[in-house]
Amino acid sequence: MTSAAGAATAVAAPGTRGASGSTARRRRHGDTKVAYLMLTPLVVLLAIFVIWPLLHAVYISFFTWSFYAPSEFVGLDNYVNVLTDQAFLSSVLRGLGFAAMVVPAQLLIAFAFANLVKSFSGRMAGVLKVTIYVPAVISEVIASIIFTIIYAYRGGILNWALGLVGRDDTAWLGETGTALPAIAVPAIWIGMGIASLIMLAGLLDIPEAYYEVASLDGAGWWSKMVHITLPLMKNIFLYLLVTGFAGSLQFLVVPLVMTNGGPLESTTLPNLFIFRHFTNDLYSGYPIAAALLLFLVLGSVSAIIFRLVRSEKAVDG
Amino acid sequence: MKRRALLSGLAGAAALAAAGCGSKDSGSGDKAEVTIWQQKFTDQEDAWYKKAVAAYNASQNKVKVVHQIVPADAWDQKMKAAQAAGKAPDVFTLNYNKVQGFARTSQIQALDGVIAADKWSGLQESVVGSITYKGKKYGYPMLVEPSAVLYYRKDLFAKAGLDPEKPPTSWAELVDFGKKLTTKDVSGFSTAGNQIDMGWSTWGLQWNAAGHLPISDDWSQPRANDPAYKPLLQAYQDLYKQGIMPKQPLAPYADATPFGQGKAAMMACGSWAASVLLSDFPKVVGNVAAAPMPSFDGDVTKPTATLGGWTWVIDGKSTKAQAAAEFIAYVLAGDPALLVDYFKTTKFSKYSPRTAVADTISSDPAAKENPWAQTIQDKVVKYAKPEPTYDWSISLAFGKAIEKALQGKDIDTALKEADAEIKDIIAKNNLAGQGTTS
Repeated sequence: MTSAAGAATAVAAPGTRGASGSTARRRRHGDTKVAYLMLTPLVVLLAIFVIWPLLHAVYISFFTWSFYAPSEFVGLDNYVNVLTDQAFLSSVLRGLGFAAMVVPAQLLIAFAFANLVKSFSGRMAGVLKVTIYVPAVISEVIASIIFTIIYAYRGGILNWALGLVGRDDTAWLGETGTALPAIAVPAIWIGMGIASLIMLAGLLDIPEAYYEVASLDGAGWWSKMVHITLPLMKNIFLYLLVTGFAGSLQFLVVPLVMTNGGPLESTTLPNLFIFRHFTNDLYSGYPIAAALLLFLVLGSVSAIIFRLVRSEKAVDG
Repeated sequence: MKRRALLSGLAGAAALAAAGCGSKDSGSGDKAEVTIWQQKFTDQEDAWYKKAVAAYNASQNKVKVVHQIVPADAWDQKMKAAQAAGKAPDVFTLNYNKVQGFARTSQIQALDGVIAADKWSGLQESVVGSITYKGKKYGYPMLVEPSAVLYYRKDLFAKAGLDPEKPPTSWAELVDFGKKLTTKDVSGFSTAGNQIDMGWSTWGLQWNAAGHLPISDDWSQPRANDPAYKPLLQAYQDLYKQGIMPKQPLAPYADATPFGQGKAAMMACGSWAASVLLSDFPKVVGNVAAAPMPSFDGDVTKPTATLGGWTWVIDGKSTKAQAAAEFIAYVLAGDPALLVDYFKTTKFSKYSPRTAVADTISSDPAAKENPWAQTIQDKVVKYAKPEPTYDWSISLAFGKAIEKALQGKDIDTALKEADAEIKDIIAKNNLAGQGTTS
């Protein structure tokens, strides 16, 4: 506003142009100062809590580092140890597999649920929104305990229910084939609330006029979904895909509480792998190098998703 | 993302630790403040720790000891965060098997100079060996407890047509009895079911099967690929495949609750299970008997358990080592009555490595309250080995081999892979030559 007013003055009175220009510059300069001042607290906090720890982490990843014994510079040894450790590579692949189970299921269920909520009236929609959001406010520890009880081999609710139809007890968390899908279920459940609400916000943001016009043109439900809803929800999907993949790769509490990474490491996700090394190893160089490498993996996965699903600026609505 | 989570979590935890647990001199007048962290045990044990600290605080006016109980599952991360912030407690409880690693990395201080020589007399030699590193003593032993004892239900034995007075003495018998005892609702035998629990609970059985642990005494060579280990892995495979042990652990190995609830007819657990059964399941006590874990060749004089337990140590950076040591000496090396009270509290399910305390306990009529204590003392503790002191990753590698067998993988391959993994751990951590005993 201030700059625009200054420019208008300059056009109206050419003789005073130099003076007005310098006033505008001074004002602009003043604005910049205020902007920097207002940004300062955030930048300082970012530097203290993100940038410095990151640089320090990179630094100490080149040492056999403990809090007590003198550190010894080992160059890239920690990185070589991590990258030649089959267990780390397996945990990353397992993490990607886990994310591939969790994210699509979460998106599909959340999308269906958001459409359901949209189709209901205000009061009922409110009840549904609260219901779906409940898992998001339950701590992961509590959710893990609830599902551990459900999956219990003796006396578990799931085996009891399946027993009613004559199925033998299954060790859901005790067998390598079922453990990872079994812990994926609470992971989907926990993340569904937020995903559904974001989807709902995206759906409500699409102008009703588009659908009305499409109806006048004779478009059916499917046509409207394919040609209006899905294209306009693309950025929402992209956001949920990226955050979903990054979040799923980083699950720690669920496998820690439910299986402790077993059986046979079939549920040792990357963060649990690093956490175990961090708490058990006498030196911390290895887990820090592993954490930084996982950071690269997460960045790469996010970049690939962005590349595959190009985001676009919303044209309208 | 991960880095941010890890480091901000670390910073947050460190701040919490600093706020709640650090050594501070303020608020206690002229008294120096010494902090002790104790891992959460049973409520009764926690109460005893509080009592011991209060007794010491009342006994003198130079030092105020501040006591904090830390849940077992939060211990490692809380301690790491406190160490990172330079706010670790002056005194903390530590397992014997961790003492040498902590001493090697300067995380704890030698106590020889701060606890008088006469306070060390009358301690079991093997236990002193566990807390000794390069000739110096790094912890004061509090208790020992065998890691594996066989508890079994006499009533269920009788119901299955087995003689309740004759527990299995070999692993072949264990499998055979287990099969007879298994029903739809009751597992024949319950024991560790994952690599972490198997990593430590089978140390005694590893000795039993092969006469050694899966690494050479000087930690220079792996010894996991010894065919003598095959019966151990085979036994776990049989127990699992035949449905004798539950397909999914009913609880962690150290937790005797499912056995108390009647979900298993036989259970492998440490001597501490006695305290849980006596306190929480008094109705089943009359039907429970204890015996040594079976031996692979039936030889009852071979070790079946290791003597684990707890020692008190002083943090490597503590500036109040002398005051901390005086507190430790008061509780663990002072009047035996204070410690005897601890063993009473835990229903005599643990054993003192200090002769003065052990003698008082054995002459205490209340010791009969634990009907299994004498059997465990005579048949398990007598032949037990000290806990190994090598890095946990070695134990975990062997635990993984047993879990592979349990999940039906080839036993030879599992042992070979464990051997290769231990070799790799030795190389990556420069362990060769660091071992003094195993």
